[in-house]
Formats: sequence, structure tokens, C-alpha cells
Amino acid sequence: MSNDAGKPQSAAVAFMVAGSAWFALGTIYGLFSAIHLMAPEFFNNIPWLVFGRTRPVHVNTMIFGFVANMLIGCALYYVPALLRTRLWSQKLGWIAFIFWQIAVLSGPVTFPFAITQGREYAEYVWIFDLCIMISLLTLVFNCVLTIAARRQNMLYVSVWYAIGALIWTAGVYPIGNVMWHPSSGALPGLIDSIFLWFYGHNLVGLLLTPLAIGAAYFVVPRVTRTPLYSHTLSLIGFWTLLALYAHIGGHHLLQAPIPNWLKSISVVDSMAMIIPVFTVLANVWLTARGSLSRLWKDPAGRFVLAGTIWYLIVGIQGSVQSLPAVQRITHFNNWVIGHAHIAVLGFSGFIALGAMWHVLPLAAGRRLYSHRLVNVQFGLALLGLIGFFAVLTAAGLIQGVGWYNGEAIYRVLPEIAPFMVLRAALGILIMAASFLGLYNAIRTLRGAPLRESESPLQEGPL
Amino acid sequence: MKMTPALLVIGGIMVFWASVFIVIILPSIVWQEPPSAAWQPWSDDEAAGHDLYVRNGCSYCHSQYVRVMDWGEGAERIAQRGDYVNQLPAILGTERTGPDLSQEGGEHPEDWQIAHFINPRNTRPLSLMPSWEFLGMRDIRHLTAYVRSLGGKDATFRAQRQEEWKPQAADAYAGGPAANIQWLHDHVPAPWHPMPNPYPATDAALQRGHKIYQDFCAGCHGVVGDGNGPAKEFLNPPPLNFTELRDHLVGGQYIGGIFYYQVMNGITGTGMPYFKRELESEKIWDVSNYIAVDFVGYTDAETAPLGIDASYEPEWKNNYSLPGADEK
Repeated sequence: MSNDAGKPQSAAVAFMVAGSAWFALGTIYGLFSAIHLMAPEFFNNIPWLVFGRTRPVHVNTMIFGFVANMLIGCALYYVPALLRTRLWSQKLGWIAFIFWQIAVLSGPVTFPFAITQGREYAEYVWIFDLCIMISLLTLVFNCVLTIAARRQNMLYVSVWYAIGALIWTAGVYPIGNVMWHPSSGALPGLIDSIFLWFYGHNLVGLLLTPLAIGAAYFVVPRVTRTPLYSHTLSLIGFWTLLALYAHIGGHHLLQAPIPNWLKSISVVDSMAMIIPVFTVLANVWLTARGSLSRLWKDPAGRFVLAGTIWYLIVGIQGSVQSLPAVQRITHFNNWVIGHAHIAVLGFSGFIALGAMWHVLPLAAGRRLYSHRLVNVQFGLALLGLIGFFAVLTAAGLIQGVGWYNGEAIYRVLPEIAPFMVLRAALGILIMAASFLGLYNAIRTLRGAPLRESESPLQEGPL
Repeated sequence: MKMTPALLVIGGIMVFWASVFIVIILPSIVWQEPPSAAWQPWSDDEAAGHDLYVRNGCSYCHSQYVRVMDWGEGAERIAQRGDYVNQLPAILGTERTGPDLSQEGGEHPEDWQIAHFINPRNTRPLSLMPSWEFLGMRDIRHLTAYVRSLGGKDATFRAQRQEEWKPQAADAYAGGPAANIQWLHDHVPAPWHPMPNPYPATDAALQRGHKIYQDFCAGCHGVVGDGNGPAKEFLNPPPLNFTELRDHLVGGQYIGGIFYYQVMNGITGTGMPYFKRELESEKIWDVSNYIAVDFVGYTDAETAPLGIDASYEPEWKNNYSLPGADEK
């Protein structure tokens, strides 16, 4: 740290490379979990490979380790770049980095040994919750002071989203983890579920989503070399995302005995989420209008473009599946697992990867090691994820429709067995994509310096 | 509208916390959670089991609330807000790879539960649950205590019923095959006794029955029906050896109705679960014919009293001779 801490952009680079590494580790734990669902005695009586302990490692490593890490890294580059200044403090950036990595590392270190708070997505024990909070508050502080030191008066939309994601998550995280109850990280009784799903949903909605949108708003105009289509659409998308998303966690509990007014709010606002999703996508796509081929031919742009298409799919699906009539079939089964994968890996993960391939060379001052490897990674991840989505959705429909018709759990399990095999196989494609990415990122860092013409701050998206 | 740093930071914080007020603070203020009629506090062992349940990620496959549209385990009682009082955390779950457990208490006797935790496929050949043997017996007993508490007072009622019948069933088993089978027959309502299997034991029916047997029965009764499945060592009374039935048919003749009733209803107090939620009528009649033909060597399918044959039935004649007939 001591040597690199002074280098411009070193914290951003560290976040992005760590994201690549966690992506690889996360897929390994995903594979462990997938194997279990295919052959439950494959790792028989190996405590640290039991499904209930590997699954949270996979989930938390992917959210906090892979996607959040990579997108925060990108933000630490584009926020100062867009403000025509430097990050206020690289050292503070590194402190945020180290605390964030300690928290992510606690997943594979504690969960396999049954040290966990057990609430989905809020599993990190209190001391590591604290690490996340220190990291978030440090990032907020650093970014706000970077804004104060800006030489570009206007705040570009990517900056809004990056700042928003950090200050909102600094609120979402302690509430959702009930951090004022250190030992359990929970509240007694059913009300805990309201706190948990406020948190669980906003982890995606107010951390990954705004960071991913911010990154897309940064990368797309730069790759297509076109100005942003509309400032007004940017404003509408930003404020409606915040105003609507924060309310919709209740749609995870539609069939549980929570108050009906909370359910109503969550369904209505879930449907209304169509507004921020379509506004942002219209703005990004209209920005790229006429230059789509440029976006597609750029390896980073291709990832971001695909990420925005996943956003369309996951946004529409998310709204529709908040409806009680739909949830009767889709709740409690693999349909939702499919949805979660296209949200985290498809939408925010693809944009994170694309943004990293765009930003990493700029931030590190190195030429991208291999465009071809990025394209191969894209192909593997896309094929794997499309298959994943199809397989899990099909399995979920079989389960949901079966149960609705009175089929017992045990009767339905053999029906989804072949899908569990396919999902493990498709997961291997995604795992291969993560390894290629890590290799490419490391080789980039050790590779040739960037040429003068490609230097970072010359070309803004504005 | 120009986005200034002040608007971004202060506005962003204000809108966010306004939302928090609506969906977090307001519910916290108005929340009322009086205990439901079925609620009761946990014992120390049950609380220790809940802790294990949370720390080992059981909630990633098991939900703990029954919904209005549910049919499976626990479907007799829709979840109520007051069921979760003082649970820390009340872990509702998001997936049902395994069954909902909110009403699991008393569904099975303790020994079945332990056999199931040690290797779930002991008792449920189709289960995807990991084996929990590595936890050790102390933890497995805590988990068992917890699972048996799920459902509160309703669970206690069901668990007590298991405990009431268990010694009787165990005594009957200890009395030898004849006494045991007599006891089992005596606890099937009399109208089922002289009821033959109304459906033919065709090759296809036997193959279907074989599949059902392997998926649902073989863990306890063994692949050859001798009661020596992997769960046997845990269960008291042990699973029935079907081959012993050959000498103990009701009225020297009937077997189909008895099988049907026992598979449908289970034998509370023993490891034998009821299967009426999992197997519908044709599957029970098929597995009854399979057990009868393969393990007893005789089926009463299509014997008197006869009704009108179902329209799908092929021409089929029961050629199985009564047990003992050829020996005499």
C-alpha cells in the first residue's frame, strides 16, 4: 500500500482488480452450491462445503466483492475525472479499499464455519458490518471533498449516481443490518423481515443500480463520442429511482403476514419502477443512437450495451413479478434465483465488467492486455447467463405451477433435477469468464503504458 | 434544473430518509404483534436449535410461513403475525427447495427426525438436503428439538400425539410379527379391511409402483421390502418387513385396502409418515400392488367384492394364488 498509495488512481485500480478476483472466487462458491443441488452427497459431511454455508459466501462475494468493488473502483476514477480534479485523498481511498476487502474476505473466512448472522444478504457479523460502514463513510467523505475541489462546475449525471449510491447505502446498510443490535443483527419478531427486505432490495436498488447506471452514463458517451441525449431525462431517472426504489422491499413479503398498506406501497412503486428504468435506458440508448456499431465493436462498450439490455429485461420482469397474481407462481422457487442472476450479473455485473475494461487502462495508465480476451469473456458470460436465466426460469415455473396445483415439494424435486445439472454446467462458462477477466486485468497492470493520445482526462463525456 | 452539490447531497439524503420514514419508521411505530393463539416461548434446547438453523443456512431452502395458496406441509394453518414473537431472528426464508417448516413440529416422531438429519435420504430418498451427521449428536438433538417446536402449541399437540402412540407401536413390534401385524390391522378402520385393490396389477402398474416405492419407501423399508433400509437403525419401532405379511393377511385374503389406508394416513407414533399430500389415489394403488406382488407374492387386485371396472382397465385376470394355497 505504501508505495502505491501516492500514485494517482491507485485506489480505483485496486478496487477494480479486487473485484475481478472476488468474481473468480464467487463463481467457485457458486459452483460448490450448484453441485450440491445436483448431487447432495458430492461433498458429504464436509462442514465448510455444506450448501447452507457456501451459498452465502457466493451471494455476498458477488454483491460486495465482485460488482460493488468493481463499480466503486470505476467511480473513484470517473468522479474526479468528470470534475477535472484528482481524488481528494488517495490514502483515504486505500483505507476505504482495505476495510471493504476485510468485510468481503470475512465471507469465505466466517460463513463456512457457521459464523454468520444468517439473514439473507446481511450475513456479515457486526464487526465486519462496521468495516463496510467505515469504508462507505470514508468514500462519501472523500467524494464530497473531491466535489468541493472540482474544477468543472457542472456535475455530470454519473457523479450524481456515484455520490447517491454511497450516501444512500450508508443509510441502508446500518438499518438493514440492525447494527444497534450487534450480537444478532436483527430485531425480534416479524418486523425484522421488513427491515431485512428494505435492506436486501436496496442493496441492489440503491447500491448496485445507481453505481451501474453511473458507470453506463460514463462509458457510453465516451465510446460513441456523442453528447448525452438529455439532461432532463437524467434528472427524472435519478430522482424517480430514489423516490420509488426505497419503498419496494415489501414485495419480497407479499405473501407473509405484514401490514397490507406496506404491501400496497411496494407493489405500486414496483410497477412505477418502469419510469426510472425506461428513462435511463432511453437516455443511454438515444445517446448512442446512430453509433451503436461503435458501442458494439468496443469490447467495453459491448459489455455495457449488453448490461443495459439486461436492465430492460430485469426491470420489466421485476415490476411484473411484484404483482400478487404473478407471485402466486413465482415466489419461493428458482424463478427468483434466475431474476437475481440477471440483476446482479446481467445488469450491474455486465456494466461493471464493461466499465472496468474501459476505465482500468485509463486509471492504471496501461494498455488493455487483450481485447480478444474481453470478447471471449463476454461470449462466455453472455452464453452462460442466458442459459442460466432460461434454465432457472423454467425450473421455477415447474416448481411454482406444480405447487399451485397441489404437488408436494418432494414430487417436484425430480422434475427440476435436469435443470440443476444444466445450471451447474452453464455456471462453469461464467466461472471461465471470471478467470479470463482476472488474468486479463492482471496482465493489463503489468503491460505496456498507455500512449499519449489515450490519456485519461482529455476526453470527457460531456 | 441544475444539479448542484447541495441539491445532490442534501436533497438525496432528504428523499432517502423520507422513504425510510414511510417504510421503516412508520411501520415500527404502528407495529402490533400480540402473540397468536398457537405461540409459545422456546425452551433452551429449542433456542439452541434455532441458532443452529440460522447459522447453518437452513433458511436458504426452507421457508417459515404458510400462504393462502399452499397445499403442502403445514397447509392447515396460514401464518399469522403473532407466530413470530420474540424470535431472533424470525427467519422467513425465500426458497422452498425443501418444505415449509413453520408447522413442522409433530409431523414426525423424534427418531424419524434424527434419522433424517443424519442423512436426509435415510427417510426421504428424493431429498436434496445435506447430511448433518458432521454436526454431532448434541447439535442434531438441538435441531430436532427446534424443528419439533415449530408451530408452537399446535406443534406440542401433534408431538404429544406422536408420543402417545409410540410406546404402543413399539410394544406391538416387540411382541413379534404376528402381534405387530395384528396391532397394525386393528388400527385400520374396519371398513377398509375387506377392501381389495380395485385396480389390476399389470406390468405397467407394477413398474409405476416400483418407482414410487424407490422414491418414497425404500429408505426405511429397504429396496427388497424386508424393512432393512438405511433408516432402520434409528427407528423404534423399526420399519415393517413386508414379507412377514404373507402369513397374516386379513381374512387370509385382503391386503389392498389395508395398504391404501396405511400409505394415505401413515402410522402416527412410528416413522411411517402419511403420504396423502404427496401421492394421489392411482399412485397409492400402484405402490400397493407393487409391494403386494414383489414382497408378499400375492395381490388381491380385482378380487371380490368387485365394482364396475374403470374404463381404462385392460383385460386382466388375477393369477396370484393365496399364500399357503400351494403349500397345502
